[in-house]
Amino acid sequence: MKGYKKYFLNKLLWFVITLVAAVILNFILPRLMPGDPVAGIVARLAQGMSSSTGMKAVYEKYAELFGINKPLLTQFFLYVKNIFQGNFGSSFTQYPRPVLDIIKSSIWWTVCLQFPAIIVGWIIGNTLGAIAAYVKKGFDKVILPISILIGNLPAFGVAVILLVIFAVDLKWFPTSGGYGFDLIPTMSWQFVWSVIVHYQLPFWSIVLVAIGGQAIGMRSMSIYELNADYVKYARFMGIKDRKIVGYVFRNAMLPQVTGLALSIGTMVGGALVAEIIFSYPGLGYMLLQGILGQDYPLISAVTLIITLMVLIANFAIELIYGLIDPRIKAAQAE
Amino acid sequence: MKQTLQQVFHSGKFIVGFVIFMALLLLVIIYPLFIKDAPLAIIAQGSFFPPGTYVNIYDSINTTDIYTLNLQDAAANRISSKLSNDDREAMKEWLIGDGVPADQIDTSDTASLLDLWEKNYDPQKNIPGMIFAQKRYYQRLNDSVQGILSTEGEILAALNPETGTLEQIGTVNQSDYVNIDQVANVRVLPLGTDNFGRDVLTELVKAIEVSLEIGFVAGIVATLIGLTLGLLSGYIGGWVDDMIMFVTNLFTVIPSFVLLVLISFSIGQEQRGAVTIAIVIGLTSWVWTTRAVRSQVISLRNRDHVNLSKIAGHSIFHIILNDILPYIASYVVMALILQISSAILAEASLSILGLGPKTSVVPTLGLMMNWAMIYQAEILGKWWAYFPVIVAIALITFSMNLMNTGLDQVFNPALRD
Amino acid sequence: MSKVILEVNDLTTKYITRFHEDVYAVDHVSLKVEEGKSLGIAGESGCGKSTLALSLMGYYFPPLHFTSGEIIIDGQRITGMDPDTVRRTILGTEIAYIPQAAMNALNPTRKIINFIEDVILAHDPKVSRKDIYDLARERFEILGLPEDVLQKYPVELSGGMKQRTVIAVSVILAPKILIADEPSSALDVTSQKMVIKMLLDLMEKGMIKSMIFITHELPLLYNVTDDIMVMYAGQIVEKATAQEAVFDPLHPYSKGLMGSIIVPEKGLRNLKLSAIPGVPPNLKKPPTGCRFAERCKYVIPECKTHPIDLRETGEGRAYRCIFSEEYLRKVYQIG
Repeated sequence: MKGYKKYFLNKLLWFVITLVAAVILNFILPRLMPGDPVAGIVARLAQGMSSSTGMKAVYEKYAELFGINKPLLTQFFLYVKNIFQGNFGSSFTQYPRPVLDIIKSSIWWTVCLQFPAIIVGWIIGNTLGAIAAYVKKGFDKVILPISILIGNLPAFGVAVILLVIFAVDLKWFPTSGGYGFDLIPTMSWQFVWSVIVHYQLPFWSIVLVAIGGQAIGMRSMSIYELNADYVKYARFMGIKDRKIVGYVFRNAMLPQVTGLALSIGTMVGGALVAEIIFSYPGLGYMLLQGILGQDYPLISAVTLIITLMVLIANFAIELIYGLIDPRIKAAQAE
Repeated sequence: MKQTLQQVFHSGKFIVGFVIFMALLLLVIIYPLFIKDAPLAIIAQGSFFPPGTYVNIYDSINTTDIYTLNLQDAAANRISSKLSNDDREAMKEWLIGDGVPADQIDTSDTASLLDLWEKNYDPQKNIPGMIFAQKRYYQRLNDSVQGILSTEGEILAALNPETGTLEQIGTVNQSDYVNIDQVANVRVLPLGTDNFGRDVLTELVKAIEVSLEIGFVAGIVATLIGLTLGLLSGYIGGWVDDMIMFVTNLFTVIPSFVLLVLISFSIGQEQRGAVTIAIVIGLTSWVWTTRAVRSQVISLRNRDHVNLSKIAGHSIFHIILNDILPYIASYVVMALILQISSAILAEASLSILGLGPKTSVVPTLGLMMNWAMIYQAEILGKWWAYFPVIVAIALITFSMNLMNTGLDQVFNPALRD
Repeated sequence: MSKVILEVNDLTTKYITRFHEDVYAVDHVSLKVEEGKSLGIAGESGCGKSTLALSLMGYYFPPLHFTSGEIIIDGQRITGMDPDTVRRTILGTEIAYIPQAAMNALNPTRKIINFIEDVILAHDPKVSRKDIYDLARERFEILGLPEDVLQKYPVELSGGMKQRTVIAVSVILAPKILIADEPSSALDVTSQKMVIKMLLDLMEKGMIKSMIFITHELPLLYNVTDDIMVMYAGQIVEKATAQEAVFDPLHPYSKGLMGSIIVPEKGLRNLKLSAIPGVPPNLKKPPTGCRFAERCKYVIPECKTHPIDLRETGEGRAYRCIFSEEYLRKVYQIG
């Protein structure tokens, strides 16, 4: 277990470093742009406000929150302090609702939608890719082109097509929202059922996109492994084909796990756009609301949370990978 | 070189991808030679005109050549275009609601159905359980079926400027036809118009052009950065490698989508041109190229020909240019192709979020998608506003991926089947 | 004459390329290996020796296809046998194989002991795990391998250790004949010696009855095997005892192979290095005459026009050349 501990500490350190870098970027990117961010914010916020004293008060409130007149470093520490206290300021578009409140209400929609969808897509995609590689003739000819085609459809394209077919034309599922607009979130059967029904289309659109991408990668990985020397040797030792196929898929899947860690950021990006298409009340939709309303505190918080989620997912995958691939332990023990 | 190209063009996948891509490129080049309208010109008053041929009514009426054609199915066509089966069923429903026994209503007999309708329908009457929208629908239906069975023509009248009264100047009979070639103004809108009343096809062609440009600019920016960093990191090694890989690994896990959103938002709507967006996309997507180039360079670094060049005292620049670049050229081309297609997707995603290029200058595929979504084209069933856009994006990325797979199979024989 | 363990009669196998061309990589090969004997097969890379090994194992996966001939192992004709029966009763138990690149021969994500379990259970599903472990430990001990290797993953072993482990795994079911395909060529000199010593040990201790050793270094075989067969372009060009093949080669190609390596053996050390110029013929369109003619120093026009048969000369010796033994010996003496 010594090797794994070293690996774990290594990954943990890396997680902390990336987190710090992400926070710095989130802080600095908007500030690199010319102009006084608070002035912009206030101009937007004070629309329709006639008293200049009122405007001044708003300005000062935000100037204090952002520490605009202090040196950049002080501003940064203020920013970090605010994050730790969960103080992301108030949303402009839903003033005076705190941004933290909005995030709290939308984050679970996103987590519960994207996490299972990406995992399910990953599993189905890898299974199909493996089958395509193994069966090759016939099946491969069907699965591969379909995967390439779906893999090339943008996430929002798949979302729109599913929406039009299953919600608009067939009317099997609702077109938008996380639950019926006439319901109040409670633990009633009616509400749960409504959530399940609203969940289907966004879920499957993310799954489909993930399948397309994963199947192609798994197929080439499996073909590569099927030609490996150990396959030949195992056959010569009289091991059953089914067992060998087991070897191959396990070995081909391992790089796919790392692949998932590397591509999860991109996948989440695509899935956020899918949320928007279905007006699903998650972070993607909140981000859209923030952008439409020039709601700077909301955008800043949502991007930070998304980054944090991706980093955690990434970290978790790396840890699991270290457990399932013996090569990691061996490499660390050297 | 020539042999490599020959090999590449023997790959079926590459050819299919190449042909699709060239077809798109040709469309972008040739279409504007024939249709010279500005791509963002608003030609229609109203939203989402369906695809089809639009014939000017004024010109048709005033045409000098009127042809009489006695076609047997003309009357039937006329009725069915105004009174669909759904309409008939709706009428039946109303009549039943009004108290007419169901067995007296025959929806297939137009004359008796209309007769019943005329006798019983009263726009003021309230049928229980009918919502307002339905009531309005029946009023519209009633208007459209008025005179549907008439065999008379329509009278054309003009205002007499002296007397101030309308005077008959002619009639249009039901069997009058014009030849479409003789009508002065006919406009084909193969993909209809969008929410603003712009010709979707013209807009789409321009959008493909702009999106391809964005893809190329972003791809080239990303590839140049990635290539430079990858070469430096792989060839020089040591602390340079450590530094570059540190930064690269950072940007691999921090989602580029988030960076894109932050930067685009910070730039502000007014400053966001298509080129700016392209550069921003390029600046956030170089990591993959860096990784790929670096690993290639590392495997090349200690090859004999490189060592020989080092012993001969060539400069680093010379070695990279002559002994390394030619060997990784194929990988760089593949990486560039992938960058281009993912940049086009990135632009589309950004635009859907409302962070794409500013809307008043040129259309992009993402902006068209964004407009269609904002105006709910997908829910209203206006497929022509969004479906061609999705198809265009899919064709671009599909063709590029096919070319890439083809190249991969040529340069990476293990993947051949 | 003792019992014949492996008999191959007129075996021909071919590759079918992507462009549907036939390449006969093993062309009418016949051979016999008796109990207690070992046979060396030598030739340049691409001469068909590795394909011969695959063909002997019945490894017919595209692009390799069986064409004609028969293989008999210890009296059982395995050609035409049902593939699953071959897998269960022949592979690993009657005939075993040590691959060219032992580096990658073991599944990287499976412990050695688990792989051994897979091998044994594939032939007899009823063996208990403990019996397997005991057997493996005993075998490793006899072969001088540390027991803890069993609990390791292949990545944790050094190159030489990995190769020796592969050998130990290959003979775990006590096969009658072992085919070793260049088992030592990727290793450093010390590991090479250990591997070869181990193979000889196997024969001595009776864990295997016969062996086929494939290599491109003909002189190496002198120390290892009893008989030597030289292959060129898919055909046998010479069969002889090790002694004869090394000190009295008949075919000009065997002669060339002898000279192409510096040998650290007494009496051989003075042989000069003379790599054979040129490349083997394209087997998509094999030449009508002698396949070696293009590269042969002693070629005469008839070589290229007449197909040349394998000529038997007394006690198990054969060669494929237009010239007589006496003539060849004479030319070689002149140099």
